[in-house]
Amino acid sequence: MATISTALRNFKEPTKEQQTQIGFSLPQSGPLDGSEQGTAADDIERMDINAVLSMGQQGEEDSYAGKLYLMAPFLCFTSLDRRSVRFTLPLSTIRRVERLNARAGIYALSLSLWNGLKIIVQLTSLRPTADLFCSLLRDALKVELQRGQMKLCKPFAKTCYSEFLLASDSDASSSSRLEHEREDGSIIEQEKKPDGEGGHERTYLGGLGLKFRFPGDPKKLREASKVKLWTSYLKTHGRNLTLLRYPQCTRLVQVGLPNRLRGEMWETLSGSIYLRFSHPNYYVQLLKDNEGRTSTSTEDIEKDLHRSLPEYAGYQSEEGIGALRRVLQAYSFKNPELGYCQAMNILAAAILIYMSEEQAFWLLEVLCDRLLPGYYAPSMHGTLLDQRVFESLVQRTLPIIHEHFQSVDVQLSVASLPWFLSLHATVFSCIKLSPAYLSFRYINSMPMIFAFRIMDCFFCMGPKVLFQVGLAILKINGDKLLAIQDDGQFLNLMRDYFASLAESAHPKSSDPRARAITKFQELLLVSFREFSGITEDLIHSERKRFRNEIIHSIESFSKRSAIRNLRTLGQFSKDQAGLIYDALYKAMCIVPPPSTHQNVQADLLVTTANGEGVEEKPETRIELKTFRYFLSEIATWARDEKIVSNGFQQRVDREVAEHEFIDRLFFFWDTSCKGALSFQDLVNGLDGVMFNGLMENIEWFFNLHDKNKDGYLTKDEVLVLSETWLFIFRFEVGDAYLGAISRFMTNAFEYGDALLPENQDSDVKESEGGGSPPPHVSSNQPYLNLPTFRMVVLADEILESFFETDMSASFRLQPLPEMELPVSSSGLLGDIWSTIATDSNKKIFNMFTDELGKTIGKHQVIHRPSIGRYTKLEEPKARESLLTPSMRRSASKSSLNSASASPSVGLTSSSTLSVDSLAISSSSTSTPPPPPPAKDTATPVSPVADSERGPLPVVQPAMLERTPFAIDDVGSDSDDDEEDDEEEDDDEEEDDLEDDDRVMDEVDAFLEAHDSGLSEADKAVAKDLLKAEPMK
Amino acid sequence: MADSASGSSADKSVQVKLVLLGEAAVGKSSVVLRFVSNEFQANKEPTIGAAFLTQKCRLEDRVLRYEIWDTAGQERFHSLAPMYYRNAQAAVVVYDITKASSLDKAKSWVKELQRQANPNIVIALAGNKLDLVQSSSAAQSGSTSEAEDEADDATATPGETPGTPEDGSESLRQVPREEAQAYATEAGLLFFEISAKTGEGVVDIFTEIAKKIPIEHILASSRGAAGRPGAAGARAGNAEGVNLDESAKPKDACNC
Ligand SMILES: Nc1nc2c(ncn2[C@@H]2O[C@H](COP(=O)(O)OP(=O)(O)OP(=O)(O)O)[C@@H](O)[C@H]2O)c(=O)[nH]1
Ligand SMILES: [Mg+2]
Repeated sequence: MATISTALRNFKEPTKEQQTQIGFSLPQSGPLDGSEQGTAADDIERMDINAVLSMGQQGEEDSYAGKLYLMAPFLCFTSLDRRSVRFTLPLSTIRRVERLNARAGIYALSLSLWNGLKIIVQLTSLRPTADLFCSLLRDALKVELQRGQMKLCKPFAKTCYSEFLLASDSDASSSSRLEHEREDGSIIEQEKKPDGEGGHERTYLGGLGLKFRFPGDPKKLREASKVKLWTSYLKTHGRNLTLLRYPQCTRLVQVGLPNRLRGEMWETLSGSIYLRFSHPNYYVQLLKDNEGRTSTSTEDIEKDLHRSLPEYAGYQSEEGIGALRRVLQAYSFKNPELGYCQAMNILAAAILIYMSEEQAFWLLEVLCDRLLPGYYAPSMHGTLLDQRVFESLVQRTLPIIHEHFQSVDVQLSVASLPWFLSLHATVFSCIKLSPAYLSFRYINSMPMIFAFRIMDCFFCMGPKVLFQVGLAILKINGDKLLAIQDDGQFLNLMRDYFASLAESAHPKSSDPRARAITKFQELLLVSFREFSGITEDLIHSERKRFRNEIIHSIESFSKRSAIRNLRTLGQFSKDQAGLIYDALYKAMCIVPPPSTHQNVQADLLVTTANGEGVEEKPETRIELKTFRYFLSEIATWARDEKIVSNGFQQRVDREVAEHEFIDRLFFFWDTSCKGALSFQDLVNGLDGVMFNGLMENIEWFFNLHDKNKDGYLTKDEVLVLSETWLFIFRFEVGDAYLGAISRFMTNAFEYGDALLPENQDSDVKESEGGGSPPPHVSSNQPYLNLPTFRMVVLADEILESFFETDMSASFRLQPLPEMELPVSSSGLLGDIWSTIATDSNKKIFNMFTDELGKTIGKHQVIHRPSIGRYTKLEEPKARESLLTPSMRRSASKSSLNSASASPSVGLTSSSTLSVDSLAISSSSTSTPPPPPPAKDTATPVSPVADSERGPLPVVQPAMLERTPFAIDDVGSDSDDDEEDDEEEDDDEEEDDLEDDDRVMDEVDAFLEAHDSGLSEADKAVAKDLLKAEPMK
Repeated sequence: MADSASGSSADKSVQVKLVLLGEAAVGKSSVVLRFVSNEFQANKEPTIGAAFLTQKCRLEDRVLRYEIWDTAGQERFHSLAPMYYRNAQAAVVVYDITKASSLDKAKSWVKELQRQANPNIVIALAGNKLDLVQSSSAAQSGSTSEAEDEADDATATPGETPGTPEDGSESLRQVPREEAQAYATEAGLLFFEISAKTGEGVVDIFTEIAKKIPIEHILASSRGAAGRPGAAGARAGNAEGVNLDESAKPKDACNC
């Protein structure tokens, strides 16, 4: 793994708003291609309001109380339990909204949809709120009208099988439909062929199954009666874009969707249909735009095309393979960062049996981006996270099994990982390996059917289904699981179980109906009955709990493998290489390589394009900008550090320095001339300087400035070299270095001139003293060679000591505490980027204290020298207040003090706030530092900080990594009323969630008792509304 | 189905945990399938996570029970690998001799195993798809196992011929046998060129590994995580005349 990805840093907790969107299967807001969202979200009006939903046709369904959401361009509703009833309507399907003339005090709207469906929502919030909602709704509808979306509904509906189903049903000649269909729903290709236009043209989309048949025995699957049930449901409850989900819908899904409808229902239930609706032609265009493009993903895809449900007839033909290729490639073009992950081929192959390429493409998009976030990403962090969550849920719900697994050291994920990755689809292909299965090849398609039924539930009820089914599998096999001793037995047991799914769950029962229940039915029953407590909310909060842990372990894993993959460590130890990696990683996080989005992939593309088939291993490389940051973490002169003390705090403000020298170093280390440096390049580069002795350093420095590598510096280069010194020494105290440099220049030119070859020397007079070069030697000719340079350098004590120790020592590998994610993962910092937010808060805080400091005359800023050798000599007073003697010593000492117990770690480490906080520790417990600092500052600290508690606690989380200090204590002691304190906030949130849950449970109980959650009176009102006439 | 009872100690069989690693589509699963049920399927689905199979082998008077973990090859599954190779006593790292990059990947697996896995793990390097580079007069063999280990002189693998480099349709070959062999020797690995399709050399891998495994140690430390035997060279004694009871093999395929 030669690539280093900081993508995980973007692995965020979904916001509340996103969660709501997810709840309604809405597309993520924001433009499809833009990586950043939020721009669109800002100008979209959002509002929610309490409401009671009733169907337009009397008697169809009960009325349900819930919440209506306007999230343009959608209108959504969910019942209070967030389960029973739900709809997501694109505003463009709404043709008419009327205020109903009803009893006084009742505010109700009647919505007519484009296909004639009518629903009534009674807004039960206060009048002004309802008015506001209505006006927002009106505006949003207008926008949709102007966008021309309304016109699109009808043509779009033609692509949906449900419309065809209903149309042919109302024809009363339902036989016309059946004429063309086999029992399983596939099309009978007959005389239609000859004249192309013959008969009716198929406008609805469908999958390979139409041609290659659908797996499974249609009789056993009871296709016909399922179709009948769905026909009547869809007629009254809307379909495709306008589907209203009542409990009946979920029930019907749970018994398995009929083949013909399955594809469309998947896209409707998962919400991918909204994407297809709003992006007509996108899929075709995407393929066209990327035609002929290859990448690692496309290569990987090729490998797996013939390895995806190979036993299905459709994938033994070029037609099926082609469709699979296009869908997978299209997705990899759309999301190059994710690209292609094995398991996606199986999913894509599965869904292509039931839906067209375009439908499958959008469904895949929803799957990878929303339903299974991070599952297929290069780091597979989503998978790992959910494995962790699953384990925790097992511990919670099946503690005995969990305990047993722990005691015999069996890892749950050896079995459960594939369940999640393939939505339980590969489970059934792994059955094929079992001997039991081999002898029953005729049930070939049977496992696939089971997988599809689980997918039905998954798309309908969301990712929690995976957890529920997983738990049910374990529970059902509980007794046997308690007997297993190792991973292998565990897997065997699971395999045997899956192979038996078609068998009766109660073979010995005397009741024939009980005997008819298969193990698969039992599995679903247990999943949804006994694990109904596994809610999306619970999963969400569990994910939150383990997110940091997972990120942490993935990052440290990739760090280890990055180090392992180094061709050479040079003279570094593994730990030191780790520190270099940390600095690199941090630099990449802070200064992401340009076009982050494309970066990794672009790299891959470049290599494949240039290397013509002989792909180089993709390698992460950083560009100059990132390198500058990287170097600033390591080389003391590559950063500008200001030590600011303002009487309240003392901190180090660090900025990345920019200088030609740093750029020069970048290109010097870029030995393969790629214009970018890999981790290996950085290690090599540092290796080339950090362990050098005097002579090597002089040579290194010389070579660095010898641009054409001819062994000579030109006069210009001598000047540049001197300038480099000026840069390195820019913050040194006193003018010792200045003197040294000017002496060097004098000497260099003197010797240089003296050593010039005769012919050039002829008209040269001995130039005395002045640094100005003789005019006749053109400035870019070879001038000073290494021995001369060395001689000149060694003539100067200061320069000598610079090369002897200081230069190498100015590269320091130190642990970077900031990169650690907080260990306490109790919901804190769920959003990693909150550090950004708090960063700016920190700045505000710093500015504030600076201002205060200025007013009380305590503000002072000192640049920290890069070398620091001569600190003692100058301005002793200023220094005394800054550096304790021990610090001074170690600062000038040669140091490769990686993680060593050097007392200066705090000072030299990159923490933005100096450890020197001790200097202002008020009356806190810490022992005072050796040189007692300005005592007078101590007193004002607490009160002032106290009065300004606003920003303070905000700062706190971001500072967790560094040593606590007095002011923080003040802040954190009294943070109870902070609205911004992350930790608090999250805790509360969790409490809230739990409270919510409790409330919801009660509501559930209530609902069960009262069915729709409405009092009789309410029901009467709702009934009345059905008859109500529109106002005006 | 007899498995869960068979546990560990009962019979004389020694359990050996073996893991297969290597780039995607090099044929890991095919190799296992060949070994376990002596068949070949042209289009095997990619492995997701890992698959688990078992196969018994007879080695002299002893029965060896291989617990085989066949892992997924795609790079992004890499981070899951430690879950499967922990406690493994043997590893087969597979590459595809018609694909140069797959050897690089194999090398990096070896490196990782040598650093992270059980220190006494026996590693075999296997170049698969030998059938693709053999001329149609395929009958020849290339499964040498010479010089794999200083302590192990066992070259008595049945059906072996001297490893003459095959000519024929060499054009497909991207990894020269010598190169891989040299690397294997240097890294102290068993080395084979095999074909899961024809079956050539597949069983040899497992035989040779069986010979090299410090069985006594595994027995001594009974099963499980604790036993990290010290010396691998200890068992040179049983190296000669050792043979797998091949005829018995395909039928008692794992079953479990
Ligand atoms: N010609 C030939 N093809 C082979 C051989 N072994 C495997 N293959 C083919 O190579 C492809 C990949 O084989 P698999 O066994 O699935 O590869 P794998 O290493 O398990 O792949 P992943 O599970 O994705 O890591 C299949 O199409 C096999 O038919 C072989 O010895 N010769
Ligand atoms: Mg495989």
